[in-house]
Amino acid sequence: MSFGRFVLKRSLQGLGVVWGVVTVVFALRFVTPGSPINAVAPLDASPETRQAIATELGLDQPLYIQYGQYLFKLLQGDMGFSYIRGQEVVGLVFGRLPATVELALAASIVAIALSIPLGVLSATRRNEPIDYGATLLSLGGISTPNFWLGIMLILVFAVEFNVFNTSGRGVDVGDVALSLVGSEPFFGTLLAWLAYITLPAIALGTYFMALITRLTRSGMLDELSKGYVQAARAKGLPQTLIRYKHALRNTLIPVITVLGLQLGTLIGGAVITEAVFSWPGLGTLVIESINRRDWPVLQGSLIVIGTSFVLVNVLVDTVYAYLDPQVVND
Amino acid sequence: MVSARVIRNLKKEFRNSALAKIGLVLVISIILVATFAPFVATHDPTAQQLDQSQLPPVGFSETAERTSSQMVDGEIQTVTETVEIEPDPDHVFGTDSLGRDMFSRIVYGARTSLAVGVLGTLLAAAVGVPVGLLAGYHRGTVDDALMRVADVSLAFPSLVLAVALIGLWGRAAVDIPDPFVVAGLAPEMPESFVLPITVVIVVGLVNWVWFARVARGEALSLRGQEYVKASRALGASDNAIILRHVLPNAITPIIVLGTVQVAAIILLESSLSFLGFSGTTLSWGFDIAQGRDYVSSGQWWISSIPGFAIMLSVIGINLLGDWLRDALDPGIEGEGGAA
Repeated sequence: MSFGRFVLKRSLQGLGVVWGVVTVVFALRFVTPGSPINAVAPLDASPETRQAIATELGLDQPLYIQYGQYLFKLLQGDMGFSYIRGQEVVGLVFGRLPATVELALAASIVAIALSIPLGVLSATRRNEPIDYGATLLSLGGISTPNFWLGIMLILVFAVEFNVFNTSGRGVDVGDVALSLVGSEPFFGTLLAWLAYITLPAIALGTYFMALITRLTRSGMLDELSKGYVQAARAKGLPQTLIRYKHALRNTLIPVITVLGLQLGTLIGGAVITEAVFSWPGLGTLVIESINRRDWPVLQGSLIVIGTSFVLVNVLVDTVYAYLDPQVVND
Repeated sequence: MVSARVIRNLKKEFRNSALAKIGLVLVISIILVATFAPFVATHDPTAQQLDQSQLPPVGFSETAERTSSQMVDGEIQTVTETVEIEPDPDHVFGTDSLGRDMFSRIVYGARTSLAVGVLGTLLAAAVGVPVGLLAGYHRGTVDDALMRVADVSLAFPSLVLAVALIGLWGRAAVDIPDPFVVAGLAPEMPESFVLPITVVIVVGLVNWVWFARVARGEALSLRGQEYVKASRALGASDNAIILRHVLPNAITPIIVLGTVQVAAIILLESSLSFLGFSGTTLSWGFDIAQGRDYVSSGQWWISSIPGFAIMLSVIGINLLGDWLRDALDPGIEGEGGAA
């Protein structure tokens, strides 16, 4: 199979999964007790009023018609109106998405920047103090609930030392970019942005930092024991070249795949991190819409979350296939 | 199956690993604490004593500003005063905002965490393992369908799906009478244990897919083995082969996964209780949530201590999981390395 065909096949597969995601989200409403009319209608609504609401929302139609209409509208980028806010769901969801993406990316950067060097050091200095330190740190990291870590960070850095903001997103990364060309002072804006994002990014990123450290360490140990590394050593290649060019590169390929699959954990973690830091992202929107039974908003958010997961995994597989052509023929 | 070789490996790995020993000690302690909670706890974890609220843990004293409403000349006035609060040796971990004993709440919280972790994992395995084995053994349409369902299932983060399902289905709980209290051995403790049953069902449903994937992988590689082919040639039915030959040989990776899943589900349960999506108020996540409002006013222990309890339990289970994986792995080598 050629690389192009592989990408096409994987994309079509991804599209199928997205269709499944949409279907599950649509079906969720029908395995749930209580009619969505209850979320909209006043408690003392007469049967006529309820009927009118049902007609307006299309709930009196047969299921397959409702499903067909839902899919059809979705293809046109229409996710309906919020029951509670009277706003378009698409606007609401995509208005919140950038905050979550920013948080998730910041957390990933913190995680990757710390974990890969730590994992490599841990593997190359096995059974030395740094290895024990890294092992303990990563064990703690995968075992700590991120929402609790967030509260502890608030306790130490915001309440005791008062250096970070603990709630909201006063400055976003777009403001920082604008300050490069605009009249706002760049460093001031950057610091203000860091004051908001640092604690949530650490709270969310720690688990992944720990996970990647563990994966990198065991992957490196595995690679360093292989024949090609010994051959390279025998040939007299410098240690750093062997470690970073050969062993690390082969270690990172499987690490990337695991990370793609862990994206769900990252988004799930973002939901709860957002709740701790009142971060105005998709996670807080999901919780609000569940508590207020705002169906269309919940459906829209779940579809966007599921679709992002599929998209990232298709991308990861494509990169993987590009780096390791054997995958294409698998 | 669990052979003499496996047990030998387990023992050897255990002797060589300090971490495995720590893990086992932690896990056994938590099981004991959870089981004998009525004897370990010093107070009824739900009993409120408002005159003893917000006491710091032993070893810490706390200056706090307390506002109270007082009737002065027939008018209600808010009075703020700074008071020095000394710990009470009767409450080692202090008390929460309603004067409930934190130590006893931690002890009883272990029951919730462990019960949800173990029952949720068993449910996930009970659904996932048969589905995975059947799909991997038969391949074809069943297998394709399973893999697509798994793909869709993985696209939703566990926490998000669990929150959505619990939010929509409600937060049901069942009261299970505490045998020790019923027998009159610990009369001052709560009579029943509240099991958040919706949470158990939802975490099981959300996590079955991991078991299905592992079981499928094992069945796929085992179906081509000589002894499976031989049984088939001898006329054994597919179900009998799966039960007698495939399952016993697939059990090791399933056990390793199960251990890791208990830890993952304990974390998931604490997240759900933290967000208010649980059916019980005796949970570490719930206490972290209620203590959160007091972090900025100085009562750090209400949120901190339950977090350490979660961390220690999950560390213990993860260490146990690492030990099992390291000890059992030689048996499953040759079918691709561990992830």
